[in-house]
Amino acid sequence: MPTTTRWFIRSAVIYFVLGITLAFLAEFPSITGELSLLPIYWHMLVMGWITQLIIGVSVWMFPRKHRDKKARESFLVWSAFWTLNIGLILRFLSEPFIPAITDNQVIKISIVLSAILQWIAVLFYTIEIWPRLQNRKKRRSAKA
Amino acid sequence: MMPSQSIWMIRSSLIYLLVSVSVGCLILMQKAVDLHPFIWALLPAHYEMAIWGWVVQLAMGTAYWMFPRRLDEPKRGPLWAGWSIFILFNTGLVFLIISTLFRSLIYTAIFGRTLILIAILIFAILMWQRIVTYRKHH
Repeated sequence: MPTTTRWFIRSAVIYFVLGITLAFLAEFPSITGELSLLPIYWHMLVMGWITQLIIGVSVWMFPRKHRDKKARESFLVWSAFWTLNIGLILRFLSEPFIPAITDNQVIKISIVLSAILQWIAVLFYTIEIWPRLQNRKKRRSAKA
Repeated sequence: MMPSQSIWMIRSSLIYLLVSVSVGCLILMQKAVDLHPFIWALLPAHYEMAIWGWVVQLAMGTAYWMFPRRLDEPKRGPLWAGWSIFILFNTGLVFLIISTLFRSLIYTAIFGRTLILIAILIFAILMWQRIVTYRKHH
């Protein structure tokens, strides 16, 4: 299992536990108060858990197009890992406070930056995986 | 090797991931910065694309590729069945997404969900025959 895969899966498991914990806590409004937790735990589960697990397993299992260009592929995958996780952390630290704090510039910048980082991560992942989707005929012609 | 049906299902799922995350980013930014009120109308399309277009379709494409193949031909079931899954699922999903944008189009949603249901039934029948072990053959 490649290092990037292990990092993606470990991160995914952390988000899985956090997402389930927040979903549990959201059942107790006396604890959570005005915090908006519904979009947080949904995105922890769908982006943090399921999507990161898919990314981690697919960069490991999907056939590589260029076995001799691992460095370039690793750069894209590592970039996807860091942009996605920094984006998610910024989001989860700022989004719950939006309903309570409307005019805080730090929260606004954090939200916008988080959105851009998540989008870049998905773009990096797509650029990495797209060329690996090849059937036998195309792979043979690429090798020749 | 990855069959063409899986390649197209996975490519389609990647496109849905990109579009869904792009819409999601706009919705997230809308919470902090007032871009345009219409962006909120994209929320149901964002869900449908993320769950059906990305997660479900990627799982179907990968399962069609990786599950044990049958010992007799055709190894992954009839080719038309594999292509039907891809075409019906994606056509249905387009109708479903259009229906989320225009609430008056009730029949569009029903039509879309029907196509997705047929695609998933074909997928379930194909996969059922491939949930096997070949240990006894060795």
